Amino acid sequence: MKSKLDARKLLSEYGNVLVLLLLCAFISIVTLEEQSPRSTAAANRLAEKIAQASPKGANVIVLVRSGKGQQEFADKLKDALTNAGLHVPDSIVGTPRDARIALEKQTATIAAIAADNHMATFCADQLPNLGKAITALNKTTVHQPRKHKWPNFLKKENLLNVLKQISIVAIIAIGMTMVIITAGIDLSVGSLIAFSGVITAVSIQHLAGGGDPTTGHLLLGSAAGILVCAIIGMGTGSLVTLFNIPAFIVTLGVMFIAKGLAFIFSESAPIPVSNEGFAWLGRGSDLMGLPNSVVLMLLLYVIAHVIMAHTSIGRYIYAVGGNPEAARLSGVPVKWVLVFVYTLCGLLAGLGGVMEASLHITGDPKSGTLVELQVIAAVVVGGTSLAGGQGKIFGTLVGALIIGVIRNGMNLTGVEAHMQSVVYGVVILIAVMVDQLKNRSAKTGA
Amino acid sequence: MKKFLTLLSALPAILLFAWLGCGGDKSKGVIAYTPQTLSNPFFGVIGDHIRAEAEQNGYEVLIVDPDYDVKKQSDQFDDFIAKNVTAIVLVPCDRLSVGPAVQAANKAGIPVFTVDAKCAAEGVKIEGHVGTDNFQGGELAGKAMIDALGEKGGKVLILDLKRAHSCVLRVEGFKKVINAHNKESTGKIEVVAELDGNGDRTKGYQSTADALQAHSDLDAIFAINDPSALGAYTAVKEAKRQDKIKIIGFDGQLDGKQAIKEGKIYGDPIQHPDKMGKLIVQLIVKYQAGEEIQPETLIPATLYTKAEADQDPDLK
Repeated sequence: MKSKLDARKLLSEYGNVLVLLLLCAFISIVTLEEQSPRSTAAANRLAEKIAQASPKGANVIVLVRSGKGQQEFADKLKDALTNAGLHVPDSIVGTPRDARIALEKQTATIAAIAADNHMATFCADQLPNLGKAITALNKTTVHQPRKHKWPNFLKKENLLNVLKQISIVAIIAIGMTMVIITAGIDLSVGSLIAFSGVITAVSIQHLAGGGDPTTGHLLLGSAAGILVCAIIGMGTGSLVTLFNIPAFIVTLGVMFIAKGLAFIFSESAPIPVSNEGFAWLGRGSDLMGLPNSVVLMLLLYVIAHVIMAHTSIGRYIYAVGGNPEAARLSGVPVKWVLVFVYTLCGLLAGLGGVMEASLHITGDPKSGTLVELQVIAAVVVGGTSLAGGQGKIFGTLVGALIIGVIRNGMNLTGVEAHMQSVVYGVVILIAVMVDQLKNRSAKTGA
Repeated sequence: MKKFLTLLSALPAILLFAWLGCGGDKSKGVIAYTPQTLSNPFFGVIGDHIRAEAEQNGYEVLIVDPDYDVKKQSDQFDDFIAKNVTAIVLVPCDRLSVGPAVQAANKAGIPVFTVDAKCAAEGVKIEGHVGTDNFQGGELAGKAMIDALGEKGGKVLILDLKRAHSCVLRVEGFKKVINAHNKESTGKIEVVAELDGNGDRTKGYQSTADALQAHSDLDAIFAINDPSALGAYTAVKEAKRQDKIKIIGFDGQLDGKQAIKEGKIYGDPIQHPDKMGKLIVQLIVKYQAGEEIQPETLIPATLYTKAEADQDPDLK
């Protein structure tokens, strides 16, 4: 009985986790496809199969398309074939052009070709003609590792992609969650991405003075981008509190200002950063193969969770959103809390801008367009109420994941673009509805 | 609540059925296409012909829409790499910032081809490009302008799109012909304003409306694509000056052609997105066969005026 209650409590708090799991399962099903394995075991099995079909000492060529990990796979195949008592005169890792040139050079009879899936297609198309022209190839058979079924979605590489792709939106959504819990909104974050990216790129190039920027320059420039956005956020918060202007209006104004400034500072053209090291944050993967942007995202979520759940500032934020008057009377510094959340939201948008610039090694004034809506969608799908007073930090992460997973799934299956937009809308509505139902059943159940 | 949990536990079973249910396919691989946007029919036509030609050659096609957003386009590249596609056809949303995404595909061994617009980032490998000869197209627009204005010349507004290199080339070709004409002829053609038309109707309309206020004696407009040319026409019509002001567009999209037939637009140098889609796939097929391929193929634009429109079976 107790465990059932716990499950109900868990589901009512994180009902969107269920939506996420269902989505993952669904997308796994529709992205199920034949995969070509590249493991040592697959190489050994392939070598065994070829050895059975060919006489001992026969010539076998290894042929795989170039790419990450392909050289290693070719080496594994070569070792396995040699161990199986076959002779490997040539091992080619390259383009179809390289393959053709290498095959045309063969003089000794080739019994078989061990290929990956791409090169197997090449051979199936080209070998009949090549075989007519080149006697060495006229009895050659082609073998590739036995394919197995696995969803493209569930490949480790793809799952990391999804996390990497949502990292910017998810990080900004931390700030947005806090803003929305105080019953506010921040429409300026998309423009701040562009502004921060441009300021960062301009500062880096300026600091370097025409030369190649050093790591110090990169750090200083990024700090400048983040700081400027934090200051803008502070300005937003001050306007909201001092003049009592609705956050919607203030941040709408800031949105236009920041967008314009981004174009002015960049003179309307993207600014490339001439140091590839700048890509470390956006594209690098240092910790156990996890992308740096994902590590940063997870770290920030843990910190934000601790702040919201275990510190007084977290309690203040909920209190301000729940009932500002009651909060004020019970001694919560309402105005400072509001300035704090908008500053933090600006700062995180600035960080998002640096990450986006790092991703492209360019500060682009066009970037960040409409990202504010994705961020708000992540927060809302994550179960935070626009009325304020309630919401969970990790709920927002799940919300960002739901949106990222749908986007990824639709790209993997080639869903038409306008349909994608419809699906987004429907999923946002469903997620919010499920959340409402959970809340209701939790209330009546208690 | 119980229902949900039952559903959840049923998932592995569903997965298993799907695994059993899926048969193997005999496709040679996937050609992925990411244009700037699909809201411009031009890129849609390229996509349709990529699909037709690719399927004829035994490839599957995956078409996605980054909606002018480089971040989205980069994400799509990551998805293509995860899917291990055969080749990627790209129309860069931004000729520089798309660089790291192309590098990632290069690293994964996936060949990248560009169509229409080129990628100008450093350190990237593009296997082949098919596009319109935009400079030559601009020259055609210049010649059409000279025809349209006749002996006495006149004052011209250009609606440009500076962030698209292809459109910059069109304006350069246009100006070259106009300058050469002005040296030889007495009826000078003067470019009185160059405004941003953003390549769309809304901005084309706004900029033209402003220019009409500033230049009461405007004689003609050259817009770098059809949507901005049609926006310009709306403004001209609103000012009731459609009989005096000649408009020349670019592209030859269906609504542009229709407007030419109806006399709203004088003429277009037209591009051939159908040929582009077809040629890029033929290039990929050649590449996959290990043959040597030409790094760049430019398709000349051709001039399309009312005479051609009247013969066009696609128009009403």
